[in-house]
Amino acid sequence: MSLRRRLTLSLVAILILFAANVGTHFWGSFSRSESMVAYSDLVTATQLSSEIEQLLEGQQQQILVLATLRETTEDQLDAEELARAERDIKLIENTLRRLGNLSHADLRADFQQLWRSSDALLGRWLEFYRNYNDPGFNLDVNDPVPFVETAEWLKSLEQRQTALAVERANIIDRTIELTDRITAIGFFATIALTTLLGFSLVRYTGKSLKRLKTGTQRIGSGDLNYRIDNIDDRGELGDLAMAFNDMADRLRNAIEDVRQAKDAADEANATKSLFLANVSHELRTPLNAIIGYSEMLHDELDDQADIDRPQMQNDLDKIITSGRQLLSLINDILDLSKIETGKMSLHCEDFHPGTIIEEVCESLAPLLLEKDTELTLQDMDSLPSVYNDATKFRQVFVNLLSNACKFTEKGRIEVNACELENLDGWLSFSVSDTGIGMTPEQQARVFDAFVQADASTSANYGGTGLGLAICHEFCELMGGTITVDSEPGKGSTFTVVIPSDPELALEDV
Amino acid sequence: MTDSRPILLVEDNEMNRDMLIRRLHRAGLEVIAAENGQQALELMASEQPALVLMDMNLPIMDGWSACRKAREDEQIRHIPIIALTAHAMEADRVNAMKAGCDDYATKPVDFPELLSKIKKLART
Repeated sequence: MSLRRRLTLSLVAILILFAANVGTHFWGSFSRSESMVAYSDLVTATQLSSEIEQLLEGQQQQILVLATLRETTEDQLDAEELARAERDIKLIENTLRRLGNLSHADLRADFQQLWRSSDALLGRWLEFYRNYNDPGFNLDVNDPVPFVETAEWLKSLEQRQTALAVERANIIDRTIELTDRITAIGFFATIALTTLLGFSLVRYTGKSLKRLKTGTQRIGSGDLNYRIDNIDDRGELGDLAMAFNDMADRLRNAIEDVRQAKDAADEANATKSLFLANVSHELRTPLNAIIGYSEMLHDELDDQADIDRPQMQNDLDKIITSGRQLLSLINDILDLSKIETGKMSLHCEDFHPGTIIEEVCESLAPLLLEKDTELTLQDMDSLPSVYNDATKFRQVFVNLLSNACKFTEKGRIEVNACELENLDGWLSFSVSDTGIGMTPEQQARVFDAFVQADASTSANYGGTGLGLAICHEFCELMGGTITVDSEPGKGSTFTVVIPSDPELALEDV
Repeated sequence: MTDSRPILLVEDNEMNRDMLIRRLHRAGLEVIAAENGQQALELMASEQPALVLMDMNLPIMDGWSACRKAREDEQIRHIPIIALTAHAMEADRVNAMKAGCDDYATKPVDFPELLSKIKKLART
């Protein structure tokens, strides 16, 4: 979980607890005030009850006195006294109504009882007053039953009101106690939760930060394969860890690139040194013969003995051969360096490939005879003439056929040619021999400069290892390719594919 | 040169071999020749030459292998060997010395210098 979400969650939890606390407080004070209203109603009702009791008792006394007076005297009740008596009774009735309004729903039935009996009692009293002056009227106001009954109902109501008031007071106490407890619990829960959240947040963040620190230290100290993958956070810290991992990846790639570039430069340097060493070696070999024979002839001319002319001519031939060999070697090296610097250009002309290959084969006849090797040349008259570099084409086949001769003893060499069926204007030539052949590893390097199949090859067969490198470069220059297929002990087949016009190679085929 | 034992020249290139044989003859040395390392080891054992001039790039067995083998062979280990090669880099000299050669001369051969090297080593 992200840091932000954790913090938000904590805040929301704290707010909910706080709101619960406030809510409890409001609910508590609301129910308390409601109970207080009910309680005060009850107290007022109790007061009204005692008031009514007193009024009833006073009225009863007054009526008993008046009843006695009516029997013993002839006094009449004047209008003013009647009106006052009616007012008093009205007051009682009104007070009773007020009591009725204040009566709790639970006491409604008790009040109804009281109301009915008091209504009857007050009715009797009112009747007594109104008919007081009528001598024929006779009412037994001395009968105590209606009054006692009303007084008892009143008493009973009063008792129940008191009981209810006590009960209400208890409820208030309990509510206060409960809300206080809830408030206290909520308060302590908020504190505990806040502390817990804070602690876990600090601990969790601290752990992640520590891992990040360890990771960056390790990556910083060069351990670029180290990954900060133990952060269980998909948020900010996880993003930070991923950013560090990305950085490590990129650094590693960059370092790898630099290392590769350095390796490539080192290899290029080594190749160049090897090239120089090889050039030096190849130049020294014919020079050894040239200088050696020249010095020797010079010394022999100093001798007094007769000059052996045929011998001398023979020695001079060797100097000439070595000189020519040196020249062709220098030309090869120059060719290669021209190709490498991109200065070798094509000189295209129309020529017939068959004619050139036949000429090359003819020039190799003495060597073939020496090696006791048979050469078969396919009839190439049907081949079309091509527009390409004839000199380079000839050089390629001089090199390929010289190689085939050099590495084949008492065997066969075959030269075949055809037009490519699926590619219009392209020709394929192959030179196959039954010579020593090559392993796949040797084949892979055979077109590199100064590489012969192995170190002992040049010792056994001579040669500079430049011939096939030049063939390869020339074929590419002519817009074609050269490939080799060989098996050790069985022989080799070199296949040259060239376009009849170098322009064809530029087309997207 | 009081030593009557011949010098062994190991060289695969016919032209160079003939030329050196003739020049060494003119200098009054007796020379026998081998065309590869294998032949050289056989001749060293049978003829006990006073010294060997060894080309390094040889067919069948190259000069470096022949030198190492010669140094392991009780019978011929004492015969001094001068490496004679067109490999003219410093590393090539070190390689030749490591293989057990006593001296090193590059082609094209400086003949007077080669003679003095031969005289120095054949005498000891």
